Amino acid sequence: MKNIRRWGPGLLLVSPSIILITIFVYGLIGWNVKVSLSNWRQAQPTSHYSGIGAYQDLNHDAAFRQSLAHLLVFTIVFALGTLIIGWTLALLLDKGVKGEGFFRAVFLFPMAISFIAAGIVWRWLMNPAPGNRATGLNVIFDKLGLHALANQWYLDSNPVIGGIRSWGMAAMAMPAIWALSGYVMALYLAGFRGVPEELREAARMDGASELRVYRHVVFPHLKPVTLAALIIIGHISIKIFDLMVAIGGKQGFNTQTPAVYMWIQIYDRSDFAKGAAIATLLLLLISVLVIPYLIYTVRSERRS
Amino acid sequence: MAKIAINGLTKRYPNGFEAVKDLTLDIGEGELLVLVGPSGCGKTTALRMIAGLEEISEGDLFIGGQRMNDVLEKDRDIAMVFQNYALYPHMTVAQNIAFSLKLARRPRAEIKKRVHETAQLLAIEEMLDRRPKQLSGGQRQRVAMGRAIIREPQVFLMDEPLSNLDAKLRVQMRGEIDALQKRLGVTTVYVTHDQVEAMTMGDRVAVLRDGELQQVGTPSQIYERPANLFVASFIGSPPMNLAEAAITQVKNGLAVTLGETEIPIPRELAARNGLDAWVGKSVIAGIRPEDIYEASRKTAKFQAEMQVKIDRVESLGASVLGYFSVDAAAPRAESVSAIPAEEVLSEAPLTGISGTSFCATFEPRAMLKIGDSAEVALDLDRLHFFDPETDAALLVEDTVETKKKK
Amino acid sequence: MTATPTTLPAQGPARSKRGWKRVKKARAPTIKYTALLIFAVIVLMPVYILIVTGFKGVAETDPAHAWSLPSIWSLSAWHEAWTQLSPYMLNSFKLAIPATILSTALGCLNGFALSKWRFPGADIVFTFFLFGMFIPYQAVMIPLTELLSKLHFPAQLPQLALAHIIYGIPITTLIFRNYYATIPEDLMEASRMDGAGMLRTLWSVVLPISIPAFVVAAIWQFTSIWNDFLFAVFIITDPSQYPVTVALNNTTGSLVSAYNLQMSAALLASLPTLVVYILLGRYFMRGLMAGALKG
Repeated sequence: MKNIRRWGPGLLLVSPSIILITIFVYGLIGWNVKVSLSNWRQAQPTSHYSGIGAYQDLNHDAAFRQSLAHLLVFTIVFALGTLIIGWTLALLLDKGVKGEGFFRAVFLFPMAISFIAAGIVWRWLMNPAPGNRATGLNVIFDKLGLHALANQWYLDSNPVIGGIRSWGMAAMAMPAIWALSGYVMALYLAGFRGVPEELREAARMDGASELRVYRHVVFPHLKPVTLAALIIIGHISIKIFDLMVAIGGKQGFNTQTPAVYMWIQIYDRSDFAKGAAIATLLLLLISVLVIPYLIYTVRSERRS
Repeated sequence: MAKIAINGLTKRYPNGFEAVKDLTLDIGEGELLVLVGPSGCGKTTALRMIAGLEEISEGDLFIGGQRMNDVLEKDRDIAMVFQNYALYPHMTVAQNIAFSLKLARRPRAEIKKRVHETAQLLAIEEMLDRRPKQLSGGQRQRVAMGRAIIREPQVFLMDEPLSNLDAKLRVQMRGEIDALQKRLGVTTVYVTHDQVEAMTMGDRVAVLRDGELQQVGTPSQIYERPANLFVASFIGSPPMNLAEAAITQVKNGLAVTLGETEIPIPRELAARNGLDAWVGKSVIAGIRPEDIYEASRKTAKFQAEMQVKIDRVESLGASVLGYFSVDAAAPRAESVSAIPAEEVLSEAPLTGISGTSFCATFEPRAMLKIGDSAEVALDLDRLHFFDPETDAALLVEDTVETKKKK
Repeated sequence: MTATPTTLPAQGPARSKRGWKRVKKARAPTIKYTALLIFAVIVLMPVYILIVTGFKGVAETDPAHAWSLPSIWSLSAWHEAWTQLSPYMLNSFKLAIPATILSTALGCLNGFALSKWRFPGADIVFTFFLFGMFIPYQAVMIPLTELLSKLHFPAQLPQLALAHIIYGIPITTLIFRNYYATIPEDLMEASRMDGAGMLRTLWSVVLPISIPAFVVAAIWQFTSIWNDFLFAVFIITDPSQYPVTVALNNTTGSLVSAYNLQMSAALLASLPTLVVYILLGRYFMRGLMAGALKG
């Protein structure tokens, strides 16, 4: 305890933030759970404990279950898309090309744009109108002869097997992939370049072809990056909300995810308990993803 | 300047590891004491405990008669020169040096004057307006020293200040630091892993190993009368030759059998080392390479001759080192080695030579070659003897300071 | 006579192992470039649409002219977008600039304390903060709006700013902590031995070399705050105080709006963050890496 003069000031410096985070993150989370268990189902706030009624309602709510299915499809397409494209871009840039700075800047710029603005453009690109009235990507597909790809995009969330009428939530994932592939690329690029050059050189001297060098020396190094990318993309996918609103609007049932559905509960139905319940479920979903990852990261940081 | 008294200083980490074990040492006013030892021996940790950068687990630290255990580093009136200099990157040389005075709110005129004096002392006046990244390693080192000197503290602490410099510069700076310290007369504790630095710079040298003090004394005491096997082999380059040897009773007194050679021991030497108690037993005998030489070169008061076959030659220019095998066991690796125990090879490694390798010095004109047969003489007065179990020197004289057990 | 110079053996056929590799090496960059360019075109395609459509007059926004350049470059859509959005852009500036400054400052203090003037449990506090970065903000939105309204702010924009400052603490702390981890520890020790306490060390030694971290944190925060929709739509109920993202969604959210207006509005609303990105892009990338928590 005699050391307190040493580290006391440090603790003091962070204490305002500790207090703020305790209240505004952990405290409010608790409060939110309380709301979800209350009887606040209408515009006037009330705070009587009412049990898990809101959760039970969600359980029976077809639209909510549908939104979860949408989230699943979205997440899978989103994650696969960003990881594959990001990885590919990083691979292409790994060895350094002329104008690498330019390419990196291009691939990353979508991150500077709000999802609302992106949503506006992509809504136009994914205009479902076919044939003569087609605009957006459908026109390009027609011109390129890829008629089969022209579809109704996000309008109908039930893709017809065999003849794809609409890509449903997968369509909604496209602007998200566009927005975040650059980020995954940045992660992988750092991963690629984090492999010490001597390792690659040693492998080459041992007679490995470039392909082998990648497979046996570089790719194994990327496992932590892939994990980080999956966690980050996964948690964005669960949270994301403005993109769907910008493209599908509040009324787009076919593109609702739980995040959007929550907004509807609050603004249209004034069902705050239900909204809070959805929010709590979202939190649980993310925690399952993130907490193990956080523990793993801090532990491995401490070890190194 | 101030006296430093260290009593039973211990550094224990939460996992139980003790970096410094029960260190007791006195450093006199104005003295330059060198802490030397292999890496991991605790010398830097000890230094940092004196500085106040490491918490003292046990024991007492007194500087200038005041107990400093609980005093913050900024209040101990100590200046430190860091191994990597730790210069403030965005400040000029002048600002770097002046920083502590600025913190002490000294008047600007005084600061200016003292910065200039210090810069003059260190011959860095032309660099006062430059930034650290524009300086060479040697120049940065001097700025780091200037930052310490200007404070006129009770104590200087130096943490391997020369180890980042190239060899020639190191030799030059050694002399400069030594002269500077003498001139300023500030009590200095100097840490290094380089035993040559330790021997050339220190008023006294303290040898540490695995957190324990092995011996403290003047360079010549450490060199001439090492207290144990470790000090004997660590200090001196090339290192002392060491091998197991048997003490036997012969006609005129005692003899030590080194390999196949029976060497009679002068009576004074035997008495000095209390060898009577070792008759019929084995000891570790040691002799430095410069005390084995071609028999034709000179004659010592007491010497013994040996016929040897050279199996390796190293030319140092001014002298030549010839290596030959002695059919005797080497001491245990852990006793002498500065290499961590895990790294010591239990078998004779790549050279394929059996027995213990001994080194002798030859003159270049001897034109030594591998395979030569040579007659070497050993200066018997310079033989050392050690207890094979405890590693301690058998020397009985009281002029050797060793670790005082509390 | 002069000796005849030895000549090198002629190059083997292209099919020899070394020759093949050389040919392949020359071709590989072109494949790379082509692929990169294709990707670049795809990524920039929406920008093309934004700009081109924005410059079209209403007449040209029909499907037939969907992708073509405007035959008449008209500024009407830009003018209209400006008229509609400029008050809201002002709101966004009034929101983003103070909030960016304050949350960056907080991040600096926290990052410093957590990496260079540590205390027992510093790592736990850091993880404690980090979790706040990952939570879905929906999970605090309802209580947050309740709490903020109880605090009786004079206006709603400051409430939103406060929310951004608080919820920005984790990421700005992360950015500064990671940056400060690269400062050698002995610099702090030298400062302490020279007699400086924590605040003096922060002020004289650390802050002057913190500029890169400040830029990264500021860019990241400014972009996040400017682009935010979720917090804004929950906290701001007074339409005159909407930030530009909410206004953008309202005025162009319905499909009734003409395309040229939608595009020009979207681009206009994105202009500040785009400018920041173009000018300071490499700091953006550094901010990204901070958020990656390389494990």
